[in-house]
Amino acid sequence: MKMDLVICGVGGQGNLLASVAIANYAMRKGLNVIGTETIGAAQRGGSVVSHLRISEEKIYSPTVPAGAADVILGFELVEALRHIDRLNPGGCYIVNSETVPTVLGNMGLDRYPPEGEILRELRLRSAKGYLINASEKARELGGAIMTNIVLLGALSRVLPFFEQEDLAAVLAELLPAKVLAVNLQALKAGYDLVA
Amino acid sequence: MKASYVMGNKAIAAGALEAGVSFVTGYPGTPATEIVEECLHGEDVYVEWSVNEKVALEMATGASLCNLRSLAVMKHNGTNFAADFIMHLNFTGVCGGLVLVSADDPGGNSSQNEEDTRILLHTYGHLPVFDPATPAEAKEMIKEAFELSEEMGSCYILRPVMRICHSRSVIQLSAQKKLQRVPQFVDDRSRFVMSAVSEPRAGGKMRPLWRHALLNQKQADFSRYAEESVFNSIEDGVGPIGFVGCGIGYSYIKEAETVLRRKFPVLKLGTLPLPRQKVLTFLRGLEKVVVFEEIEPVVAGLLRGICSDEGLTVKILGRDQFLPGEGELTTEEVIAAAARLGLVERPAAVKPAAVEAPVRTRTQCIGCSHRGLLSALKQVSRKNKAIVTGDIGCYDAGSFPPIELQSTIFCMGSSIPVASGIAKTGIDRPVVAVIGDSTFFHNGLLGLVGAVSNQSRITVVLCDNRTTAMTGFQPHPGSGENIFQETVPALSPEKIGQALGVKTRIINPYLLEESKTILDQAIREEGVSLVISRAPCYLLSTRRGGQPYFARREVRMVPERCNGCKICINDLGCPALYYMEDENRVAVDLKSCVHCGLCADLCRRGAIITV
Ligand code: SF4
Ligand code: SF4
Repeated sequence: MKMDLVICGVGGQGNLLASVAIANYAMRKGLNVIGTETIGAAQRGGSVVSHLRISEEKIYSPTVPAGAADVILGFELVEALRHIDRLNPGGCYIVNSETVPTVLGNMGLDRYPPEGEILRELRLRSAKGYLINASEKARELGGAIMTNIVLLGALSRVLPFFEQEDLAAVLAELLPAKVLAVNLQALKAGYDLVA
Repeated sequence: MKASYVMGNKAIAAGALEAGVSFVTGYPGTPATEIVEECLHGEDVYVEWSVNEKVALEMATGASLCNLRSLAVMKHNGTNFAADFIMHLNFTGVCGGLVLVSADDPGGNSSQNEEDTRILLHTYGHLPVFDPATPAEAKEMIKEAFELSEEMGSCYILRPVMRICHSRSVIQLSAQKKLQRVPQFVDDRSRFVMSAVSEPRAGGKMRPLWRHALLNQKQADFSRYAEESVFNSIEDGVGPIGFVGCGIGYSYIKEAETVLRRKFPVLKLGTLPLPRQKVLTFLRGLEKVVVFEEIEPVVAGLLRGICSDEGLTVKILGRDQFLPGEGELTTEEVIAAAARLGLVERPAAVKPAAVEAPVRTRTQCIGCSHRGLLSALKQVSRKNKAIVTGDIGCYDAGSFPPIELQSTIFCMGSSIPVASGIAKTGIDRPVVAVIGDSTFFHNGLLGLVGAVSNQSRITVVLCDNRTTAMTGFQPHPGSGENIFQETVPALSPEKIGQALGVKTRIINPYLLEESKTILDQAIREEGVSLVISRAPCYLLSTRRGGQPYFARREVRMVPERCNGCKICINDLGCPALYYMEDENRVAVDLKSCVHCGLCADLCRRGAIITV
């Protein structure tokens, strides 16, 4: 068992919590896990990327080499594009279809590529890709803040390694009790979003 | 003992607490900040955000002189700032265990520069350095560093790189050790009075010379420890080419071995000075070795010295040749090096994406008080052809598009002296320095003192938002609270200005026209003028449940009035404004707009109105 993940998004989207949940899940399964995050100026809408490495064997480097990731979990389209070169050809990507425009793009000083162009690039890397509207689903359930949990749910559908019960138990440890129930709903909703 | 998945910085703090640290100081700076904050989990530990890194190390030394175990934490820029003190501390030595954590940021992901503080601390300062390969090792090293510091009477260094500080792994956390030491101060002037006097204890030699000789003698003790240290080890492997892994470089070598399913001869190094005998044992019989270290070829140079002393002909390849001279190492870099040496097949290159991902430049938050100030200052500077120097903090994004106001950014506090220097040339343009409050107290204040006493003609604009926002809202001397969130007296920048005899004005940056008028007056004035732009950090105050500092004004677009001039974008740059190319007009994203009303004040065509 070995799994390298790259979890990428924009500051404030909650991808750090997703990576901590996956790490705790791996620990629960008795596996080794190492991660690292590159934050930049996350508070102000910068890119945030976490690398997460899970293995039965000893892991040394916290970073996932280019072309080595088994999973790209993208919280945002351009961020998925930015890190898609990490994906190995047999790996899969699960990407939130919501876009967060860049400041310079908004101002007409830079170009946010059209969705079609980004998707074409993603598809070139792997045939196993899932584009889901996790943010919309999260808002339906009560808040965009749960986008990360919806994406986790989708991940657990794509990769049988993630078992619902244990994932729920991990979330129960990480989240305040009063929001647990709705987050478990979000997890289920994410699972159902993947056809 | 409890196993937890935690950040490297927490592992380092936990190590310090397990070693019995009871005095912790630092100045915030990525990637080191959380080490200080994590120490708040210790009981009966004094923790402070010091005014700057030099002061932090001096404070920690004071505690060490009273026999407490103390820790000073900083990033590489701060270590530079503390260099003068370090070059005396190395001569005097310490009493209670003193460890300096100097965190480097290879790749400069969160810094103005990148550098390798092993050079300053070891090559120059001759202090012993631990360079961890993993967070777990960093934790063990800092514990060892406290023991050794006390045993050898010397300050020890832990130099983690960003990938140690900001990685997460499973760490065994143990209980805090409480040494329960009663502070005591024992006079030892020949040690702790550094001065050019003759030293009777050394037969009348000058004291600096004598202390230097003692530091040189200590190197033998440091080396003896290095020879036995568990942090240095040799791993057998096949072939005449060896790999040396210093700190995190070792982790990348091991990862490459796993990927390649190969075992190279490996020398793992975690200390400076080097374990000379171990190094020789490793080098003998090899033809070439490649040294993986971050960032500079420090160990590569030392290995070449050993080879030359011992008449070995091993070729040493490192970051001055063969490997890239800048940035972080990676597993890919190790594999590529092995391929260049003919040890393995060259791996197929991973193609970068053909579509470019647009950058996410740093800007201020929507609602930030700096935005109004930068806009007002941009307009006034344009009119007066002012030169604007910058400093470090959230406002520094004003030097990026679309604002492009500040023309310089160097290191903490340099905006004021650089501005002063420009003005003193007699150049016929006004000069303005923009500096934040935390940076002002860090050492900008001294620049202001110098500008006043040397009668420069500059305007200092102080962005006073009452916190160190950029690194995550640490308090500073103007905040009125300390790291424990206890109320303490807040230093008043306007009183400082008045005491210095500087004409001081205060503006509310959310009031654009008024701010422009006052900035314009200040810029035209003779001598040094100070403008304090005062409004608390928007993000911090709203996070804490407070009201914004501006009166909320509902904004609305009147699309037919917008002619696409983009003045609102170029002179304000609020991320809630966006330009629609096909319609050649600007719109407000009402989902993210917080209704500060600044854009409405700026738009002269009445295309953005408040209702
Ligand atoms: S954190 Fe505070 S000071 Fe920094 S950009 Fe945001 S609102 Fe402005
Ligand atoms: S009112 Fe204008 S400047 Fe203020 S947050 Fe909204 S769009 Fe930005």
